Amino acid sequence: MPQVTTERLKILRGKIYELMELYPSYQAALLPSFFVAEEIFGFISPEAIGEISNVTGVPAAEIRGVASFYAMYKTKPMGRHIIQLCTNVSCMIEGAYDLVEYLKEKYGLTPGGTTPDGRFSLVIMECIGACGTAPAMILDTDSYENLTKDRLDTLLESYK
Amino acid sequence: MDERIILRNTDDPLNASIAGYMAHGGYKALEQAVGELTPRDIIDEIKSSGLRGRGGAGFPTGMKWQFASLDPKFPKYLVCNADEGEPGTFKDRPILEHNPHLLIEGMIISAYALQSTRGYIYLRGEYPHAKRVLERAIEEALASGYLGNDILSKHFRFNLTVHSGAGAYICGEETALLDSLEGRRGLPRLKPPFPVNSGLWGKPTIVNNVETFANIPYIVSQGAKAYASIGVKDCPGPKLFSVSGRVNKPGVYELPMGISLREIIYTHCGGIKGGGSLKGVIPGGISTPIIAPENIDCPMDFVHLPKYGSMLGSGAVMVFDDTVCIVRVYERAMKFFEHESCGKCTPCREGTAWMRAILGRIERGDASERDLETLQDVAENVTGKTFCPLGDGAAGVLLAAMKTYREEFEYHIKNKRCKVQ
Amino acid sequence: MIKITIDGIEVQTDREITILEAAKQVGIEIPTLCTFKNLSPSGSCRMCLVEIERLSRPQTACTVKITDGMVVRTNSEAIMRARKAVLEFLLINHPLDCPVCDKAGECILQDLSAKYGAAAGRFKEGKRTNPVSFEDPVIVRDMQRCILCTRCVRTCDDLQGAFAISVINRGSHSLIEPFSGGRFDCEYCGNCLSACPVGAITSKLHRHTYRPWYIERQVETICGHCGVGCTLTLQMRENTIIRVIPDFEKGLNSGMLCVMGRFGYDYTEHEERLRSPLIRKDGELVPVSWEEAVEFTAWRLKELVKKYGGGAVAGIASGRCTNEDNYMLQKLIRYVLGSNNIDSAARLFYRPAVSYLERMFGQGITANLIPGIANSDGVFVAGGDPTTINPVLGIAVRSVWKKGGKVFVVGKSGGLRSNIKHELNHAEGAGALVLTWILAKVYEKKNFISENSIIDKKLSALKVPDMDMLVRVGVSPEALQYTADELVRLKNPVVIIGPETVLYGNGSKNLFLLGALNYVLNGRLFVLMDEPNTQGCLDMGCSPGVLVGGRPVELETFGHKMENTAGMKTPEGTGLNLFEMINGANSGSIKAMFVMGENPVFNIPDKKKVESALQKLEFLAVSDIFLTETASLADVVFPASAWSEKDGTYTNLERRLQRLRKGTMSSRGRADWKILADICKALGMKESYTDVKSVWDEISRISSVHSGVRYESLIGRGGIWPYGGEPLRGIEGDFEVEGLEDMPELPGFAQSGRVILKEDKSLIHSSSLSRYSPALMGVASEPLLMINPVTAQSLGLSDNERVVITSDKGTAVAILRADRGMPEGVAALSNTFKDNGFRSIVGYTIDPTLKSLNITDRVVTIERAKQL
Ligand SMILES: Cc1cc2nc3c(=O)[nH]c(=O)nc-3n(C[C@H](O)[C@H](O)[C@H](O)COP(=O)(O)O)c2cc1C
Ligand code: SF4
Ligand code: FES
Repeated sequence: MPQVTTERLKILRGKIYELMELYPSYQAALLPSFFVAEEIFGFISPEAIGEISNVTGVPAAEIRGVASFYAMYKTKPMGRHIIQLCTNVSCMIEGAYDLVEYLKEKYGLTPGGTTPDGRFSLVIMECIGACGTAPAMILDTDSYENLTKDRLDTLLESYK
Repeated sequence: MDERIILRNTDDPLNASIAGYMAHGGYKALEQAVGELTPRDIIDEIKSSGLRGRGGAGFPTGMKWQFASLDPKFPKYLVCNADEGEPGTFKDRPILEHNPHLLIEGMIISAYALQSTRGYIYLRGEYPHAKRVLERAIEEALASGYLGNDILSKHFRFNLTVHSGAGAYICGEETALLDSLEGRRGLPRLKPPFPVNSGLWGKPTIVNNVETFANIPYIVSQGAKAYASIGVKDCPGPKLFSVSGRVNKPGVYELPMGISLREIIYTHCGGIKGGGSLKGVIPGGISTPIIAPENIDCPMDFVHLPKYGSMLGSGAVMVFDDTVCIVRVYERAMKFFEHESCGKCTPCREGTAWMRAILGRIERGDASERDLETLQDVAENVTGKTFCPLGDGAAGVLLAAMKTYREEFEYHIKNKRCKVQ
Repeated sequence: MIKITIDGIEVQTDREITILEAAKQVGIEIPTLCTFKNLSPSGSCRMCLVEIERLSRPQTACTVKITDGMVVRTNSEAIMRARKAVLEFLLINHPLDCPVCDKAGECILQDLSAKYGAAAGRFKEGKRTNPVSFEDPVIVRDMQRCILCTRCVRTCDDLQGAFAISVINRGSHSLIEPFSGGRFDCEYCGNCLSACPVGAITSKLHRHTYRPWYIERQVETICGHCGVGCTLTLQMRENTIIRVIPDFEKGLNSGMLCVMGRFGYDYTEHEERLRSPLIRKDGELVPVSWEEAVEFTAWRLKELVKKYGGGAVAGIASGRCTNEDNYMLQKLIRYVLGSNNIDSAARLFYRPAVSYLERMFGQGITANLIPGIANSDGVFVAGGDPTTINPVLGIAVRSVWKKGGKVFVVGKSGGLRSNIKHELNHAEGAGALVLTWILAKVYEKKNFISENSIIDKKLSALKVPDMDMLVRVGVSPEALQYTADELVRLKNPVVIIGPETVLYGNGSKNLFLLGALNYVLNGRLFVLMDEPNTQGCLDMGCSPGVLVGGRPVELETFGHKMENTAGMKTPEGTGLNLFEMINGANSGSIKAMFVMGENPVFNIPDKKKVESALQKLEFLAVSDIFLTETASLADVVFPASAWSEKDGTYTNLERRLQRLRKGTMSSRGRADWKILADICKALGMKESYTDVKSVWDEISRISSVHSGVRYESLIGRGGIWPYGGEPLRGIEGDFEVEGLEDMPELPGFAQSGRVILKEDKSLIHSSSLSRYSPALMGVASEPLLMINPVTAQSLGLSDNERVVITSDKGTAVAILRADRGMPEGVAALSNTFKDNGFRSIVGYTIDPTLKSLNITDRVVTIERAKQL
């Protein structure tokens, strides 16, 4: 987990200023700022909320309200790699829940949890738009489809 | 020669770059529009083409544009709804990933017609690859003078930004999308006022789906007449169908509006996987009522499907065969609706959670006849009483499934297990 | 004309109202939960569904506007079923703990369930569990009971403008968070508490101690904490206040209160309230009877007047006492004892500021309506934070911003921080520099042609600093330019003046600059007033040079009027002001003093000096509700009745006259006017008064501005200025602006390691009175030293450390609190906490032009406190 340093907060601040240019209101920069904060700190840390609040002028309570509304934001520290596995209907009927079981058995990963070595976190997703090639997941920022247990093993192998 | 309009040239990996796109004749429609047509002409052309929005509701696009252009307030914002959150739907994704310039060209023409200077593409957070593709395409278009402050040296200004969502289905609903774009919790807004009069930051705002914009260049270059000759009367044009579930060849198909469900499944998708028998089809994404096998000759368009008790929605066809348990499908669907309910209105917030809980017990074999009655009653209590269509849809699709597949629900209760396993 | 039918009843109106409002007009009740007074409709609870002919779905009555020919049904079977359904949905996760819920009896959910709900529940699943929190000092939150109507969030955001709470998570996991928690800006106004329809947000003060039906009496009165004068209702059982609630229909505050008003009532029941008159015998204050105290006082005063003449007596009046109290004090001092030496703490800032502005523009120039601020398109604030000094006025300023208007703050932006675009926070002492630049630019841009040659001449004489100087005092050119550009555009501006414009020097110049700015902008002026009746104290003649009615002594006609109407002869001369009285006591020219409801030892700087001056008096009488620092020096102490025990009138900063009403009687104190009237009587006064109304009647006969105002007529929104008589306009002649033609000097920066101290006004406390309120002490229990984080760091100090502040005049101990809003090299301390008040450790001089307080000796050192 990257530490919160004034240096990193400064980078965040710079990015927020850039983002604020893209919209007529400062508040609109919130959602993209959260992604930047995650990139820098691994999650939307309290310090990041403070900084975003200072720069955009949006009160901290409101920022927390906004961030917690969206399922994809990480409001607590997570593993190094994030498995976002879809279990919605099309993936379900193609065996997505078997994969959930498998991740639990083999890696000790439960939905919302992180492996003890901090390598992977598992997030159960609603539809990720890969229903034709179900089951599917997003690993960090890459999509993988037509998953099987074997394929999952090989894929996870390559994420250290 | 590629017969397709929307997915044209998407087999060509170079098509995602501006050079490849232009090699296939891309941006001609924009030059034609800006060079030969007035904004008014374009709006009239879109109106007479009969184009209906592809986001789900099928609202006539020309009419929406006219409302916005009649509003005297400026600036006007142009928003592309690329949230594509409806389960089963993945039809916008090939456009975003393989034909980004078609969308961008469609948006620039629309901006010209609507005298909008600022556009946003609200892209679902689950499409990180599409984000990279789109951002690159926007940069290319800027560099080529199709975007920016003096487009084609015609003193026409339009800038475009990709704005990522972050996992909230409700943000596909256009007013929730606007709140989300403004950096708020994505809650649906009261209507009226409608976005065309008071949208982003209170200014007139046009929200259209990706596929809708992708139709614009063709209509402008080939004319409304040519366009209207595709598909069916009152609902013309090509339509993308994303087919998933138990078919041999799932995927995205571009087919004329009004094609029958049977043709989609059996002619184009190679029939049912494993040779099983068809149990039911959801024609337009999880929020559209399921269709029984006896009705699969229904024409797939905005006009005809309601007559079969369903809706075209996003054109996401989900095919279930006899290995699929309907109770399980709807338990999972309700989990989705509960998870995605924004929480603003009482019936949806509480009702989806309650229905999911009862469905869970039925699925696990832990329910009684009384529970089925309660479930029916709760669903009816939600129907028609929610703030936005999400909760309404959740209850509606459950009621439809309970009607058509009642014995399966009863089987779960009586035998405390699933009929198919 | 729109005509619609609701349940067969025709409704006609020419306004575009909602179905809900239309139904109300004809007495049809449509149940609602998320709709609330003053909030825009949300349409989210779905309780108010109605049927509209030709529409297939039911619609929410709270959001749908009526259109001609609409046919609405509110009582069909389907609607009854829908209501029942909504209630069932709300109850499935709602605890059925009504017997232990403080809201029981006034809970909308409870009431509606009884009326429309189902008899039995069908919910078999486990209830959702949400947190219960006792973290907040005055508010209890039980989110298990929350029905997510968001009335609290909308109140906090849209009305209070604090943005301290928000809905977090979504769907069925939504809950309201977080109120306190330090980093969030909860102001503890408790307005969310009035908004909550169920028991999710309740007051901690009376938790589990009452049921609404225990309330035996209630009385509508005026808040006694600040100069806004909010209307509120005391709800009582036996002799105690159970709670204070606002009234949405009455008063200028439209249902809003601040933390002081809502929670700070409990000081009236503090155990240290004085219970009996005291007389100093053998050096000790001992309880005596009322008769003895009154007789003794009268005897001593008479004796001393005989010996030294009337001029040796002085009186100090109070902005916390009623008009009637103050009137009676000046009657004693001026007309019974024959001395013009009467003044009050209004002397420190309010009186000089208002008189100066009146000198410029005429009497009543600052009498403008607070609710009117919200209609303004821009507010310019200088010299203090309205959101802490006069909180409900502060939220009117925020509402200007909410509606798209502009807010400018010169100095620390404080509670308006999220309402301004640019900070205009400047180095200590540079206020006049910034104001001069802004005024000059606005004057130039407006191309202003004045009809007032005196002001015009002064405007032209101003020396304008260049941008360089301004940058050196920490103000950005962008901010200045923006301010000037936007100010010029305003159509309906407001200028708000706070105490710092006067307290730290440059008083007349600052007031001139602000007065002139308001004149050039054609705005409305407001002067912040920290006590509830400072204005009334002046109107009652409790100031040297001013007679009852606020008329200057030098206009002889008014002196005559007193004589003709009341047979009272005004003594010769102007009289001494507060500082001169202290000096007089010190030098021996003042021998006796009557102090009413004021604590000069704590509230006038240079505690040692004031204390020793009062000790030199031959006779000091004090009436108060506590044995204050001053009272403990007295020869006689009268226990007075407190705010909630009083009838009478207050005049707020708008000069609205409002009626205070007696609620409880928890002490054996007496109203100040009564104590004074008894003393006057013992000294031979003829008139006798039966009640407070009879005092008011005399005032309204004598005072030329209050003439004809009847006590009984002061109900509802009170009496509004000008009351009866005409205000005085345009007092002849020139006025002085000290240093007008000087180039304002760049402020000297304190040498390193030393910091300049200012006074901090906390939102939570109202001067030193609120240290007796357990509720307010619960929110803020210790003195805080607000300091710029960089400065703190350079001193090697960090947040939350206990520090000792030392000046040439004394020391105080406080907890250090880093505050980005403070300029570098500056710290602020409140004047609230015993032994650690700001004013006790600074000195003062008297502003030569304004005769106001000029606080000095503010350079201090700050060190870490030694561990205990
Ligand atoms: C719950 C809900 C979800 C929606 N999701 C989407 C979506 O993901 N993408 C989309 O284009 N439209 C979606 N819509 C429809 C939009 O509200 C809107 O009608 C559409 O963006 C308009 O574009 P069109 O006229 O081009 O169809 C959704 C509507 C609802 C009620
Ligand atoms: S139906 Fe109500 S709770 Fe559900 S998503 Fe719409 S507004 Fe939100
Ligand atoms: S009062 Fe109308 S929806 Fe709540």
